[in-house]
Amino acid sequence: MRWLKKIRVTVAAGFCLAVSFIFLDFGNIAPSGLHTFLVSTQLVPSLLRTLILFSSASIGLFFVLFLTFLFGRVYCSTICPLGILQDVAIRIAKRVNRRRRFRFKKPFYKIHYVLFLFTVVFALAGSLILLNLFEPFSNYGRILSNLISPSIVLANNTLGNILGLFNLFFLFQIPLLHINFVSVIAPLSFLVLVLYLSYNYGRLFCNLLCPAGALLGLISRFSIFKIVIDENNCKECGLCERVCKANCINSDSKEIDFAACVGCFNCIEACPTVGMSYKGRWRKTSTILPIVNEGRRKVLKTSILPAIGLLLPEIGKNDSSKVNQSDFDESHKYPISPPGSISVAQFSNRCTACHLCVSSCPTQVLLPSFLDYGIAGIFQPKMNYAASYCNFDCVICGQVCPTGAILPLDLNVKKQVQIGKAHFAKDDCIVVTKKKDCGACSEHCPTKAVKMVPYEQRLVVPEVNDELCVGCGACEHACPVQPRKAIYVKGNLLHLIAKKPKSEKIEPSFDSKQDFPF
Amino acid sequence: MDRRTFFIKSFGASVVAGAALAGKYENLFAAKDDSTKTPFDLVAVKGAEPDVMLQKGMEALGGMSTFVKKKQKVVIKPNIGWDVSPERAGDTNPKLIAEIVHQCRYAGASEVYVLDHTCDNWQRCYQNSGIESAVKNAGGKIAPAHTEGYYHEVSIPNGISLTKVKEHELILGADVFINVPILKNHGGARLTISMKNLMGNVWDRSYWHRTDLHQCIADFATFRKPTLNIVDAYNVMKQNGPRGVSVEDLVMMKSLLISTDMVAIDTAAAKLFGINPSDVRHIQLAADQKVGRMDLENLRIKRITV
Repeated sequence: MRWLKKIRVTVAAGFCLAVSFIFLDFGNIAPSGLHTFLVSTQLVPSLLRTLILFSSASIGLFFVLFLTFLFGRVYCSTICPLGILQDVAIRIAKRVNRRRRFRFKKPFYKIHYVLFLFTVVFALAGSLILLNLFEPFSNYGRILSNLISPSIVLANNTLGNILGLFNLFFLFQIPLLHINFVSVIAPLSFLVLVLYLSYNYGRLFCNLLCPAGALLGLISRFSIFKIVIDENNCKECGLCERVCKANCINSDSKEIDFAACVGCFNCIEACPTVGMSYKGRWRKTSTILPIVNEGRRKVLKTSILPAIGLLLPEIGKNDSSKVNQSDFDESHKYPISPPGSISVAQFSNRCTACHLCVSSCPTQVLLPSFLDYGIAGIFQPKMNYAASYCNFDCVICGQVCPTGAILPLDLNVKKQVQIGKAHFAKDDCIVVTKKKDCGACSEHCPTKAVKMVPYEQRLVVPEVNDELCVGCGACEHACPVQPRKAIYVKGNLLHLIAKKPKSEKIEPSFDSKQDFPF
Repeated sequence: MDRRTFFIKSFGASVVAGAALAGKYENLFAAKDDSTKTPFDLVAVKGAEPDVMLQKGMEALGGMSTFVKKKQKVVIKPNIGWDVSPERAGDTNPKLIAEIVHQCRYAGASEVYVLDHTCDNWQRCYQNSGIESAVKNAGGKIAPAHTEGYYHEVSIPNGISLTKVKEHELILGADVFINVPILKNHGGARLTISMKNLMGNVWDRSYWHRTDLHQCIADFATFRKPTLNIVDAYNVMKQNGPRGVSVEDLVMMKSLLISTDMVAIDTAAAKLFGINPSDVRHIQLAADQKVGRMDLENLRIKRITV
């Protein structure tokens, strides 16, 4: 069965490269089917999406669950990009120190599953904070879109500048809008943590912090096929234990804790005989350590329940139904969520902050936030109209969102989704303060919700029609008034439907038979 | 001058004199010969497809070779401001641009670049306006203009409100500059024609809006006379400009204007649109600043109906 590892490595390389590619796809050359396929195989995003919107993409989820039910957590070594990243670090560690060996360790089930339980309870209560912090796909996404992607862009821009000296423009400049201190430091810290853990302790992250690892570990306890040590063929050399990066093989007692096994097949490859192999579970040869032996109830009572109490009021505040929509100042406290997210609260309850929308957004209006959605929605993206504005004819964020936090919208529907309303501060407007024509806001408005109407002398001044406004932020972005814009969007906590732009056919006052009017 | 010579020159200047990077382009244009003699001041064509109208109009002016010499570098500046399809007439007609590129190539231009500092996302504008593919098919090059790095500061000696500006390096280095606006209604500037179209040559438009839009448009028109202005008035956006909301905003005029005089061509286009030209403040200001002439009755106009 040594071929198993070769297959694992090949599949893992393919998945890791493909997932990385969709995050770094500057030219938007990836077929949309690739996004759909890849994100559908990612456990947590696919699970969330299935709970929100059952669709053909849910097949990916069932495939992963079924695969785990058959063969254990092979997902962790083939499909999970963060797992594969850790394998690279582990391999480098092995290169650096050839004598490095792993030892069997009693798994940290108590911490891992209590954390997992917290994650589930928090998610049910409306905050994905623990998923945002530890979910592997989203963390991998943030590393790519906030660290790797900007690095590539910088390299591209530098190279593009040099080529530009020779009048070669095929490498065009890419603006970097979403870089700030937090957006770099947060994923960098996580990357350092994960690399440190994997370099020194193997797959400790996956068996200590990872929510996907916990869930798949629960399933793999009941897997039909499990890796076991064949007593008849075992030479008791202990090689399997030494190469086990999940620290789950006890070669002394010839037991494998299959719930912690990440299915890397290193042991099968390392075994000098045929002592390691998959066996049907009916053979009853494998052992799994119990999750929590004592004090489980105590843990629940003492830690989880008070924690829910702490979290709930925070979430209650974000609940759109409790906030008066007409209160502009109240709504302006909250970030503006992208079209397709239904409401700010719903978006925050569904987004794991993988930043695939951030790296896919053609205008870069979607930028990572830090605590804008509260601590419960850490790192979730928001619309930033200082940087850019939402393209009227674009629905990409909804198409790529892996979790369903941004639902896919039909373009015609999207053109009427009102994520906020433009608010005109007339006293700050150029036309009023300087008595000069401007009209930058109305110029950019795709629905003509901002229209120029007659003002003093022969000037024209903007006027906003709430019913037509979709809150795209074009007016705010274009407004030349500094430092505070004279027109700005206040977000709708609950997205609304705007009226269709009026289209009155104008009378053709032009007679093509007539001579030129000059 | 291409980007390489610019780089070498500015590098040399900064090393030798420690001079600031600004202002190095000025002498270049002062020296440029602007004495192209044409039989007409303005050519107006109507009644055919854009490419056909251009052919007829250019014939009256002696063909594109009157303006484009062999081995010259041409930059064409259409309006590609908006991410809308060609039917919406928010951007210059791609058929017209393709024909101009073709004629420049035929006249022996070494390179033909097409660019605009767009308002909406530049890649989507280039692509969805149909201009990118039209230019490539016609043998031209589409150039990016979406980041500040492509722009270099120049001063405008005759400017009143606008005295310096950052202009795109390809336009600064062009031998021939062809300005190809589309005639449209415009919320702020009333009409967008040839002088307003030059706003897409520069980096910071926000300053114009903030300061005095009409005066800045007129000021920038004093900076340099385009080799040729070609106004696309095939489909004309009569309301909700400059982006437009739907095709309902359009009136089909099937017209085209050509002139080397921006004020004259804008005056004629305003009349075609149905607006008194002096109601468009920047046209009047530019005429006052002697950029060109509004007195169409004294100009040599060739009128062609196909």
